[in-house]
Amino acid sequence: MGSVNPFFLGCTLSLVLSLSAFGLIMIFTWRRPKLSLAISLTVSTICLIIAWLTFIKLSALKEPLILSVDWMMSDQIRVPFGFLLDPTSLLMFVIVATISWLIQLYSIGYMAGDSGFGRYYAFLSLFALSMLGLVISSGLLQLYICWELVGLSSYLLIGFWYEKFSASEAGKKAFVVTRFGDIGFFMGLAFLVLNFGTLDIHSINSAAMSKAFPAWLLTPAALLIFCGIMGKSAQFPIHVWLPDAMEGPTPVSALLHSATMVAAGMYLLTRLFPFFSCSPTAMTVILTICTITLLLSSTIGMVATDIKQVWAYSTISQLGFMGMGLAAAGLTGGYLFAGFYHLTTHAGFKALLFLCAGVFIHHFHTNDFFVMSAKGGRRLLIPMVTVTIGALALAGIFPFSGFFSKEAILAELWNLPNKMWLGLGLLGAFLTAYYTFRVIFVLLFPRPQAVGGGHGVEEEHGHGHGQEEEHGVPWVMAVPLIILAGFTCVLGFLQAPIQKFLLGEVHHHAPNYVLLVSAVGCALGGIGMAWLDWGAKGAKWEGFIRKVPVVENFFIQKWYMDHFWRWFLNTVIYGLFSRTFTYNDRRVVDGGVDAVAFGTIGSGRLLSFIQTAFLQLNLLFMVLVLGGIGIYLLMGR
Amino acid sequence: MNMMLFGPELYFLGMALVLFFLSLQRRVRVEQTYYVALWLSVGGVVLAGWCLFQEGELFFKAYKVDLFSQIFKAALAVGLFLVLMISRNLAHVEERCHPEFYLFLTTCTLGMMMLVSSVELLTIYVSLELSSYSLYILVPLRRGDDIDTEAGIKYLFIGAVSSGFMLFGLSYIFGATHTTYLAEIMPKMGQLIQNPIGVVGLLLALAGFFFKVSVFPFHFWAPDVYQGAANQVTTFIATASKAAAVAMLLRFAALGASFGYSFAEALVVLSIASMTLGNLVAIIQKDFKRMLAYSSIAHAGYILMGVLTMKEAGYISAIYYALAYLFMNFSVFLVIHEVASDGRDLKIPELAGLWYRSPLLTMTLILGIFALAGVPPSIGFTGKLLLFTSAMSSGYFWLVLIGAVNGTISLYFYLRVVYHAYFLEPGPRPKIHLSWPSRLLNYGVCGIIIGFGVFPDRIVELAKVAARLVL
Repeated sequence: MGSVNPFFLGCTLSLVLSLSAFGLIMIFTWRRPKLSLAISLTVSTICLIIAWLTFIKLSALKEPLILSVDWMMSDQIRVPFGFLLDPTSLLMFVIVATISWLIQLYSIGYMAGDSGFGRYYAFLSLFALSMLGLVISSGLLQLYICWELVGLSSYLLIGFWYEKFSASEAGKKAFVVTRFGDIGFFMGLAFLVLNFGTLDIHSINSAAMSKAFPAWLLTPAALLIFCGIMGKSAQFPIHVWLPDAMEGPTPVSALLHSATMVAAGMYLLTRLFPFFSCSPTAMTVILTICTITLLLSSTIGMVATDIKQVWAYSTISQLGFMGMGLAAAGLTGGYLFAGFYHLTTHAGFKALLFLCAGVFIHHFHTNDFFVMSAKGGRRLLIPMVTVTIGALALAGIFPFSGFFSKEAILAELWNLPNKMWLGLGLLGAFLTAYYTFRVIFVLLFPRPQAVGGGHGVEEEHGHGHGQEEEHGVPWVMAVPLIILAGFTCVLGFLQAPIQKFLLGEVHHHAPNYVLLVSAVGCALGGIGMAWLDWGAKGAKWEGFIRKVPVVENFFIQKWYMDHFWRWFLNTVIYGLFSRTFTYNDRRVVDGGVDAVAFGTIGSGRLLSFIQTAFLQLNLLFMVLVLGGIGIYLLMGR
Repeated sequence: MNMMLFGPELYFLGMALVLFFLSLQRRVRVEQTYYVALWLSVGGVVLAGWCLFQEGELFFKAYKVDLFSQIFKAALAVGLFLVLMISRNLAHVEERCHPEFYLFLTTCTLGMMMLVSSVELLTIYVSLELSSYSLYILVPLRRGDDIDTEAGIKYLFIGAVSSGFMLFGLSYIFGATHTTYLAEIMPKMGQLIQNPIGVVGLLLALAGFFFKVSVFPFHFWAPDVYQGAANQVTTFIATASKAAAVAMLLRFAALGASFGYSFAEALVVLSIASMTLGNLVAIIQKDFKRMLAYSSIAHAGYILMGVLTMKEAGYISAIYYALAYLFMNFSVFLVIHEVASDGRDLKIPELAGLWYRSPLLTMTLILGIFALAGVPPSIGFTGKLLLFTSAMSSGYFWLVLIGAVNGTISLYFYLRVVYHAYFLEPGPRPKIHLSWPSRLLNYGVCGIIIGFGVFPDRIVELAKVAARLVL
């Protein structure tokens, strides 16, 4: 690195500014909401501009641009700190910068009057720092650091209303559960660095492409790294934290727990796609897990009554869907495009859905969409229109963005020899359409009499909005909705340019009409089913699943996953490990430490006897020691 | 002859003369004297900084001005300035002695400045004694208890004996090589050191510096002097005087480089003994200054680790550590001075609840203590890292291991101070109000401790150039 590269400067600047915004607000201005907002929003805007400028300037990039400086060197191991700018990271960079800017804008309205306003913006800045750093980092260690920082900011934001017990519990849960996956991730990194010698993403991928990895190294490393992805992207069986994470403010759910942070897992999968796709075993495991996740979360989404829970489960299922697309592509030697394209479109429409949900929650002070519907949710025109657009995209209806990306993923699944995966994918699409439109129809066709006292989802935040009922949606909240809805409508038609950008060329497939018809059929079928259950005049307002109460209960209990983990914690962790280790700690470690400590202090006392008040003795001692050394030197040879 | 080469020394000589005339006045004007001394020392810092890149030889090549010496001269000037900054309130020194107090501090600085530039045995000895004599007077200048007298006598006697050893050793070296110039001794040393006369001569000659740095077994004065002398004097001994002694130790130990492993091994023994004794005994101390005395013995052991490698890396680390030690030790003494503003000896329990009484002081204290303990990202951590790395790469694995164990032991008594300052209730003690210069000083020291700990490159580069000049 001779002269300073402007892109390097730009990337560094965006990170440094975000960090300093966090520091400034946390140390100096957290008491002053306006100033904090100004700092954070300015920084966020600068990041947005930098991101788009970099994106535009580098859009014709042939080779990935690697800019790095040595951060730490120890013997053989070099740890570079730098940025890897290639189409994947550039696209994600822009997505993250854009969505976080929109969320910051939206939060002005949503968080107005909250006592922790400044703190909230500080955390958002921290999140921007870590997420941007994660996206463009050139090495896995740097990525891991940012990965953990993302986890930290997620923890802080979920538990933002820490005075609420459930919120602080949810924050803790998110942190611990994702850490659980990260242990695997870290072991994978250690395994890689010990056996491969570098954690540079580019060299790992190029080594993988030239088949330089032996299988014994590749598969374990890939699976271990996937553990981290499972944690962050909330894949079965450690998805349990994400629904609880909805305790945080809704913009946070939109930003972190749907659009960007949880996508980091899938992003990593994309990032190391050549590496992962060298190991069919790992890819099969990934495909299986993602499929299970897709089905599990869609079925739970069918019975949830909290609007944020529904979207949370849909997020999990869509992440699973992305994973399926990537895994299928890896197994068939395809491209990373489908999965990553779905990530892109999903970021747009899922942020949109959450922000709409946020408007409803802000307005009606409830998370239960049955109550919202009863209170007249459909009268909020802008959010109602935009939420429908988002839902159409989520269900995969033409011409919204979700349609195109879902088609792409299903096409990848179609290529697999075993058509079971395709079938399960289609089932997932059906269920997705069903639960999405369950929400929409309930909101659109209210039946106040049908809302019993049974649905008691608490009000999300208790800050006073006396005048709230009077005015409609503040413009700072409406503008992001409209922008995101615009994205949702447009992104689908940008499939070819994005593909060209990501892969360097467009791969035209002959249109597969069987697939097209079945996919659209599933989506429409799901909507139709929802219409029969919730929309039509004579609909019974209960899910078709109610006919099989056992299964419904199974879904309502979230497949008993929370119970399972509770049991696991109680018996295995607390019962077995904690007890044994505590015993060992008390008896062996503490005892040993005490012995060493007392021994040390005792020897200190003993040695202090040399220091006497008798000067003669001191002098004598000096002479003796010096004489001893002299004798040693003379005799020693 | 370019007198600019001798500039800092001349300046401090002039400063000593001014102070001397002030001390002749019948009625001492305390304030005035203080400000004269302080502003003169500021000038000294500026001048020493100005002369940083001077090079040349003086006085028939007995006196060498190079980057090595100039770095330490600048450090000494800064040390004097820092000590004078906390000397505004000399509670335990009689008012009529104030001008003398400043005078002897100045002559001591002058002596040490000359010491770091001397490359001739007699010049070295004379300069060393100039600085020592000043300190012999400064230590018992404290009024009150008897402990100051005891400390003074102990210091004088041990110093005198060490000087005796040193002179004896120097005479051997002179007798064997027929020259007193280090530059001429150096090439002859390789052959000379094969004979007992060379070994004994070098070992005894080093004794004088071991005394200054308080390496075991020449450490006996340290606890008593640290505790018995006035806080400001202790500060001076613990900071500036240490740095100068390390400089001279580096210059002299380089003579033994050709002796090979067993000479270094003797230093290894001294190093291990110093740090182990210092750290272990420090644990049971109750008086803060006495504890710091033992900590300084331990630190002498650490610095010796860099010296005994006789390699460039080791010398760089020793230079870096000596400079770092000046600041980190000063930060702790600054706190002592502010908390015990009446000049009493500070017991560790008296620090209880300092966070409440003065958050700024507590920050300075914690940073200084962390630096002494070698906690990142402080300057002390970087220094220790450099020292340990250099010893490690020279193959002294066991020494480094023992050093690391010692570092762990030392955490106990260092953190005990932090524990008292942060986790105990202040009781009825009042808040401490700092004057604005003192605040600035606090911020400055904290900034240096963190700043150079995180970005040590500049200093290391300087030290690298300096180390090459000595070896």
